[in-house]
Amino acid sequence: MAGGEVKLIDLVKQFGDVTAVDGINLQMPAGEFFSMLGPSGCGKTTTLRMIAGFEQPTSGEILLDGEDMAYTPPHKRNVNTVFQSYALFPHLSVFDNVAFGLRRQRASKVEIKQRVGEALGMVQMADYGRRKPSQLSGGQQQRVALARALVLKPAVLLLDEPLGALDAKLRKALQIELKALQQQVGITFIYVTHDQEEALTMSDRIAVMNEGRVEQVAAPRDVYEEPSTTFVADFLGVSNLMAATAHGDSNGRCRVSVGDFDLFAGQGEVGTSGETKIVIRPERIHLESQDSTGENRIPGMVERVVYLGNANQVIVRLAHGEVVQALVQNTGQELHYSQGDPVRVNLPPEALRVLRDTGAAPVADAQAAAPV
Amino acid sequence: MSDTTVTRSAVDRTRGFSTLQRARGWMSNPWGRPRFLVVITWAYMIWALVPVLIAIQFSFNDSRSRTVWHGFSTKWYWGDPVNSVWNDPALRTALSQSIKLAAADVVIATPIGVALALGLARWRGRGSGPSNFLMLFPLVTPEIVMGVSLLLLFTQLFTVVHTGTTAQILGHVTFSISYVVVIVRGRLFSIGREYEEAAADLGASPSVALFRILLPLLTPAIVASAAIVFAISIDDFVISQWLSNGADTTTVPMAIYSATRAAPLPSTNAIATVMVLITLASVVAGFLVWRMFTRGERGAGQSAIGDFAALDA
Repeated sequence: MAGGEVKLIDLVKQFGDVTAVDGINLQMPAGEFFSMLGPSGCGKTTTLRMIAGFEQPTSGEILLDGEDMAYTPPHKRNVNTVFQSYALFPHLSVFDNVAFGLRRQRASKVEIKQRVGEALGMVQMADYGRRKPSQLSGGQQQRVALARALVLKPAVLLLDEPLGALDAKLRKALQIELKALQQQVGITFIYVTHDQEEALTMSDRIAVMNEGRVEQVAAPRDVYEEPSTTFVADFLGVSNLMAATAHGDSNGRCRVSVGDFDLFAGQGEVGTSGETKIVIRPERIHLESQDSTGENRIPGMVERVVYLGNANQVIVRLAHGEVVQALVQNTGQELHYSQGDPVRVNLPPEALRVLRDTGAAPVADAQAAAPV
Repeated sequence: MSDTTVTRSAVDRTRGFSTLQRARGWMSNPWGRPRFLVVITWAYMIWALVPVLIAIQFSFNDSRSRTVWHGFSTKWYWGDPVNSVWNDPALRTALSQSIKLAAADVVIATPIGVALALGLARWRGRGSGPSNFLMLFPLVTPEIVMGVSLLLLFTQLFTVVHTGTTAQILGHVTFSISYVVVIVRGRLFSIGREYEEAAADLGASPSVALFRILLPLLTPAIVASAAIVFAISIDDFVISQWLSNGADTTTVPMAIYSATRAAPLPSTNAIATVMVLITLASVVAGFLVWRMFTRGERGAGQSAIGDFAALDA
């Protein structure tokens, strides 16, 4: 399918005194699965609603294939939306729900029948055409909502937390289906979610948003492994954020002081000097016996061990007072740490990242980030 | 109540429980079966319904008495050649006038009220708050005040109207619109904006979204408000009285009032019974339609009766 490139330029939306979206620049190339990820109130849904046409931007441009449609009413835009609560018309059957958009385009009866059939088949709901939405389960309603939007062959499909109301198992199954569907139809998907796992598993690229701004735009692996701001590091997964004093670059690594201990950090802004934050993922921390030696090791004491099933979460208080979480994979052997045990915490330099210490980062990298 | 209490406590005593202990048990666990509340509820229902039932009973009395029972008869409905509801011209006129006013009120007030509700619910900006509040004004204004002001309006200012059927209809419409607005607006808020947005998203112009999506979804509220408008119009007394201009424009409540003050006959009870039945029928019909249309909606099943009952003033 040709087309479907969306470009947001300096997009701003204010509700009275509140700035919901504060100057967003994003580019979503045709056919991309793009996610906007952030906590509630970060402006992701407002941005989506502006692309759909339900809200008018205070300023800025929304380009669809190069054409500004910021002030085009929603019924004249070649984008369709899957709503959070599905918004299936309760008084119409599944078939009539899916046919609604085609009837507005004055498609012939034969064409409507064929295309609705195809769309329902695509989401495995072909046998449910005569039912009312209230007779369907949540997952089935979600599929119908998807068929209703896709049947119109839009250039861009907007999805507003479409899996939010489903239980965990169904959500996982639908994530995979949704991604497969996107690859099958090949149109641009713009997906809004606060669930990092959803964003990481499905997206080609993710924009992490906070307080109406874009913090980082990158491929899932990059936002997770190489968060550029403290907010991104903190929001995506569990992170151990520690205050540190950086002493600048030494052979491609940054020497940082944490309390009385000196560490080397090999990732991130290694040239930084002065007060900063360092971060390490729990699964990259190694717990060793207290007599092990070497660089980047800090003594600590086990505070708590939490059994998670596939792993054990070990909470360790470091000698200088900060607390870190370490994730120890469950290999079938019993974990030999318990509360009060002294350990040595190994923070490998290649896993230790120095961050720009700003909650709200400049959005300049949004345009620069190359599509994957 | 006393009978059952006595037998229960007798049983309880054999088991070693006194009524007092029972009451204490309820106090310590009010979430158990609320027997006392059930008793209070039924006591109230009987208190409220018995007078109506007695009035209805004497409409079938085979004598002129409204207090002493002489056997069953339908003569006060149609049997009596002079004083029955069917044959007394005054009562017949009153009945037809009441039905005429109520029907006209429904036909005029419902569409206007729906339009106003749509406008008020969707209007954001300066003045929308106060107008939403002012919509409640006719509901809380004493009817007598409204009646007097309307009378002055039609006799001093808009003298074209003057008193009579037209003035009565205008008066009824004036206070009925608020009910329609409140009911329909409530439903609009509960269905939210998402269906409209979905319709627009799928290519429906605002008018198509209104007629294909919004109005079908509002149908239960529209039917319910029509039923309630009919019910409150048909038993309105004050405004009908103020704006009436003689025997031709007497309504049933007015006829009952004057008959009761003069020489009451069981035919007065008969026409009152007819009124009760008409009101009941309109409200039951409204409720059935409401339930039919809202069946299957999230949480509608349990709250339908509550929602609907809350609307009736």
